[in-house]
Amino acid sequence: MHRLQRAVVLFALCVFTAFAAGPFFWVATMSLRTTSEISRDHYAWPGTLHWNKFPDAWFNSNYSTYFQNSLLVVVSAVIILTLVGAMAAHCFARYRFKLNRFFYFIIFSTIIFPPQITIIALFQILVQYGLFNSLIGLTLVYVAFQLPITVYILESFFARIPGDLFEAARIDGYSEMAIFWRISLPIALPALSTTIILNTILLWNEFLYAVVLITDEDKRTLPLGIQRFMGDQMEDIGMISTGLMIAIIPVVLIYAFFSEKLIQGMTAGAVK
Amino acid sequence: MPPSSAGASAAGAHVARALGTPWRAVTVFLLPAATFYVAFTAYPVFRTLWNSFHKVLPAKEEFVGLANYAELVRDEIFWRAVRNTLVWACTSPLFEVSIALVLALALYAKVPGRRFFRIAWFTPVLMSYVVVGIIWAWIYNYDWGAVNTGLRALGLNSWTRAWLGKQETALPALIFVTTWMWSGFNMVVLLAALHSLPSEVIEAAELDNCGWWGKLVHVIFPMIRPTVLNLVVLSFVGKMKIFDLVWITTKGGPLWSTETVSIYVYKRAFEWNTFDLGYPSAVASVWFVIVLGSVLTLSYVFRQREKLEY
Repeated sequence: MHRLQRAVVLFALCVFTAFAAGPFFWVATMSLRTTSEISRDHYAWPGTLHWNKFPDAWFNSNYSTYFQNSLLVVVSAVIILTLVGAMAAHCFARYRFKLNRFFYFIIFSTIIFPPQITIIALFQILVQYGLFNSLIGLTLVYVAFQLPITVYILESFFARIPGDLFEAARIDGYSEMAIFWRISLPIALPALSTTIILNTILLWNEFLYAVVLITDEDKRTLPLGIQRFMGDQMEDIGMISTGLMIAIIPVVLIYAFFSEKLIQGMTAGAVK
Repeated sequence: MPPSSAGASAAGAHVARALGTPWRAVTVFLLPAATFYVAFTAYPVFRTLWNSFHKVLPAKEEFVGLANYAELVRDEIFWRAVRNTLVWACTSPLFEVSIALVLALALYAKVPGRRFFRIAWFTPVLMSYVVVGIIWAWIYNYDWGAVNTGLRALGLNSWTRAWLGKQETALPALIFVTTWMWSGFNMVVLLAALHSLPSEVIEAAELDNCGWWGKLVHVIFPMIRPTVLNLVVLSFVGKMKIFDLVWITTKGGPLWSTETVSIYVYKRAFEWNTFDLGYPSAVASVWFVIVLGSVLTLSYVFRQREKLEY
């Protein structure tokens, strides 16, 4: 009886797994089939694998541009975020000064702001300063957008580093900057990698700010490119699937190597 | 905080040291973050609030007092959007968290392949709403989508419909998508909470001959309650902001049946040819206050201390 119960539960879990992962699996099969093959049967296994669809999407449908733009924006935003966020978090965790908690709370509370409250004004501001429709403008906005969660995750980690360590470093004559670079940062490496992976994924997928702040074809990031491609090639399901896979694959690769880190980052703060 | 007395005295020395706050270091460390925050978060928020009392045309701005807010009260599309968003934000947490709880308990019962299930269920949340939106628009396709194909295979031809094209089904269909997307995420958080429960308590309950239901209701649930409530707030806030998924699948249609507040703000600001940024700013400001207010209320009701997001 116990065995039977177990088998039923296991079966139910497998069904749910198919439900959760099935859609991606379906797109993956379609990405290797031509649209005419797909329209004969949408759910058939790919007979011949048309790998050439990937270079086709990459070179002929501007995916190389979209991908490079996304890569450029995400990598630069994450580098700036990590440095700026770590400095702020170190400062909040390490120094006691008037209004420390006040400033921290101000930054922290931004996490729940709906993006609409900034998006219209950001549009005006970027137009004013000639940063509208530029990847630099988008990068700066992304840094500001992800800063609160980055500071939040890092601060809680920095706060757990024992103060004696810093006292010892001071006695050894380290400057405040050297303490940050040579003690805080190396110790915080696990937390830093969490925020780096989290920010990479979230910004890679970001759509709202990009759709408002970027309009030029050659400056589109991947989500915008996919949307554009979808609009242009409505009927070409096979090609759109290939495009979707190009956006999905980097995420899946990161997840394959850093699944625990990524889960940790995404869920940080939700666990009490 | 260090619990031992040695630790406490070290902390005391630390405070004494810090009395001479190295303001230079504090400034250097905080300045970059503060600059980003002021330039791209605080200033835009105030500018949006300021916009909301003006008519903001490309070339000129004109003070109109509360006119935008007065218009908003009479704007039926706005109220439709508020209703849709609230329906979404209030139902989603129930679905997501209850499904997640069932899944988490199943994995907690030490079924084989736990690690695999956990990793597989988490994947939807890693994909962008753009990707998810396109895939689900296909799944809901009338002619060959998985839903209708499945119904036809079961002989339920009369049940088939254009799920995203009908007013009655479009919003529930999208709520289903977010439930699909977020259940795994909630499950992972709940599972972590379950694993952090002290095993003695559960063993004690087992010794007391508690049935599994009794164990769940009287022992496990009260202990993971804070996590559950956090997830409810998190899911609620996420749906109050929802934009991408709707924009990719229905753009608010058919006939406003999936219009959300974020979609409406975007349309009024950047799609409709009214060129006025003042009115959408008023909508955004009102929504900002509502989101903040409801989060504060919820966390007050749940008597939770901060730590709300992610």
